[in-house]
Amino acid sequence: MMEVVDNSYPGFQFSNFARNENLVAKGFPMPNSRKTGTTIAGIVFKDGVVLGADTRATEGDIIADKNCSKIHYLQPNMYCCGAGTAADLEMTTQLMASQLELHRLNTGRQVPVVAANRMLKQMLFRYQGYIGAALVLGGVDKHDSHIYSIHPHGSTDRLPYTTMGSGSLAAMSVFESRWKPNMELEEAKQLVRDAIAGGVFNDLGSGSNIDLCIITKDGATMIRPYDVANVKGQRQGKYEYKRGTTEVLSTTVRPIQIVAETVKKVTVEEMDTA
Amino acid sequence: MSILNYNGGCVVAMKGKNCVAIACDLRFGVQSQTITTDFERVFELGPQLYIGLPGLATDTQTVYQRLQFRIKMYEMREGRRMKPQTLMAMAQNLLYERRFGPYFVEPVIAGLHPSTKEPYICALDLIGCPCEPADFVVSGTCSESLYGMCETTWREDMEPEDLFECISQSLVNAFDRDALSGWGAVVHIIEHDKVTTRYLKCRQD
Amino acid sequence: MALEAINGVSRYHSKLDDLGEEMVIPEIGNLKNQYQLCTPDLPKSECQIGEFLIDETGRKIKLNYAHGTTTLGFKFNGGVVMAVDSRATSGQYIGSGNVKKIIEINPYLLGTMAGGAADCTYWERVLAKQCRIYELRNRERISVAAASKLLANMVYQYKGYGLSMGVMIAGWDKKGPGLYYVDNNGNRMPGNVFSVGSGSIYAYGVLDSGYRSDMSDTEAQELGRRAIYHATHRDAYSGGVVRVYHIKEDGWTKITEEDSKDLHYKYAEEKTKRSQ
Repeated sequence: MMEVVDNSYPGFQFSNFARNENLVAKGFPMPNSRKTGTTIAGIVFKDGVVLGADTRATEGDIIADKNCSKIHYLQPNMYCCGAGTAADLEMTTQLMASQLELHRLNTGRQVPVVAANRMLKQMLFRYQGYIGAALVLGGVDKHDSHIYSIHPHGSTDRLPYTTMGSGSLAAMSVFESRWKPNMELEEAKQLVRDAIAGGVFNDLGSGSNIDLCIITKDGATMIRPYDVANVKGQRQGKYEYKRGTTEVLSTTVRPIQIVAETVKKVTVEEMDTA
Repeated sequence: MSILNYNGGCVVAMKGKNCVAIACDLRFGVQSQTITTDFERVFELGPQLYIGLPGLATDTQTVYQRLQFRIKMYEMREGRRMKPQTLMAMAQNLLYERRFGPYFVEPVIAGLHPSTKEPYICALDLIGCPCEPADFVVSGTCSESLYGMCETTWREDMEPEDLFECISQSLVNAFDRDALSGWGAVVHIIEHDKVTTRYLKCRQD
Repeated sequence: MALEAINGVSRYHSKLDDLGEEMVIPEIGNLKNQYQLCTPDLPKSECQIGEFLIDETGRKIKLNYAHGTTTLGFKFNGGVVMAVDSRATSGQYIGSGNVKKIIEINPYLLGTMAGGAADCTYWERVLAKQCRIYELRNRERISVAAASKLLANMVYQYKGYGLSMGVMIAGWDKKGPGLYYVDNNGNRMPGNVFSVGSGSIYAYGVLDSGYRSDMSDTEAQELGRRAIYHATHRDAYSGGVVRVYHIKEDGWTKITEEDSKDLHYKYAEEKTKRSQ
């Protein structure tokens, strides 16, 4: 059999590892990957939970993304805020979302939040902290409203209110002074906004807008952005280059030719998930 | 010195009105020594789908070839053209697979949706974290200068001709402040009915 | 705790007494005496000036401007030609593309600049003053040999303290054209062809293949210009404007200052014409 060029084994590949270690030894340090910096927070209120996050992603001392989304979908009744290595958060939450969906289909019932917490902590523990994901998991199930904070090494806490990321101290100071049990929705939203704003304005790693996600028995609502804490200033001058400014050596134009076009109507059929 | 800057080079992509643009410089160097000035780091992966792979040149080529292999397998299996979003997910998987021994490339994707012709741009970091903003993405050795240029020159709803001037001037003026990139540039403007490729007259120092 | 104690210096002045040959240079300030730079009150062996360029996080402090450079100078029958690029970089960032890397010491003497820009400009300015004083005292111009020796002696005083310079001193004196290479290690040598800086390897290639002692003036100027242009093309840390100077019996003249971009497309055009 012909050997396949691009072997697709499951799991991580380590074929570049020796080379990269060698480069580090030769004085080429590993480049930084994108970090979220981040202030994330979650609280329990009367009817459910409110999750909040800022929207800044950083690469070293530059802002890589001014409006990234840090509140990730896991299940219709469960969302998860992430702080740490951006790629790890993205992949971990995507993987969890699919695992939880399979779990839901297998069991035929809504996934309890404890199950998601357990799956996340077991995965993170297995990787011994090398997957740099710090999470605030929030959800509502038939039992109760839950907020979990999950650390990269796999330890978790169930708390009524929690914060994570580089701006966590600023956000926590807001919760410590103003959180109380059985808050109303509007009050809870305002509290989380203020906590995230604390991070946005006092932590260099956090910034831009404030996103919220409200989860109750009736489902989840993402509010993105909930508050634009930093409005970008209006550009005063016009920085337009007149057409023909750039000196061009050669131009080629390749038209996209449509050889044939067929339109087929599709009737939607429900997938059998029984 | 970071290994990402070893060979030099940069890529930028921008959204316009019903069009996208992607551009790169042409230098291939080994630290301070310029080896060739015809090294294109933006590749065509479909009629309206392009990827730029700035970073370590050996990985630029490896990642391009691996992606091409996977895309061909995908398109044969599926019998349809790949969406830019799908390419992003594919590149993301390819890079994240090597989370603990990464390829030293930071890809930039630009393209139009094969059927809706919706513009799409995206940048990934070296382990595959995507960033999909509404305006522009930059990557490579002079990314700071590129951020500065793009942030001031980019406007909403640019026509293809204006988009060309905007991306070209942003790129050229950014890499003229960077010792490790430059030596020529190539710009692709991707529209619903055509792709225009232009080589720019640049400083050669 | 006082800062010097943290640095491991027990007492300032006791050092002075028992060090003998490794004497600390007492501080006067360079306004009174230009040779007197403020050095740390430490013996040379304990001095870490070179390491002060790295901050506490291990990042390099961007002090050494103009590290990458191409400069050249050569003697031939028609005098001395000097040519330089004009790029200043800090790391990979191009700080300026229009630096004057030829320092006009007096109408008969030129100095080039490679290494630390501040070091070169400072010490060559001190040299200019010394050359003028020499003229006033002795009623004749200083020779190139003497001028370069003055500079070499000055920087030798600070050997090991982290000065960074590789300069050429060229001029015309009683003996005719003169060209010397001086660097921060205390090297000083006369020669016919020199090139200094990160792009020097490329410049030498062009220079060595085209050099003849019986070149005409324009040939020699073009050789210098071409050598610098090719260096700016290949070396990432050289670029900008190519400046060419020519020193003859009646002093130096600035020949051309051309953008290397214009030169590139001019040479490219000439090449295609020749091949037709």
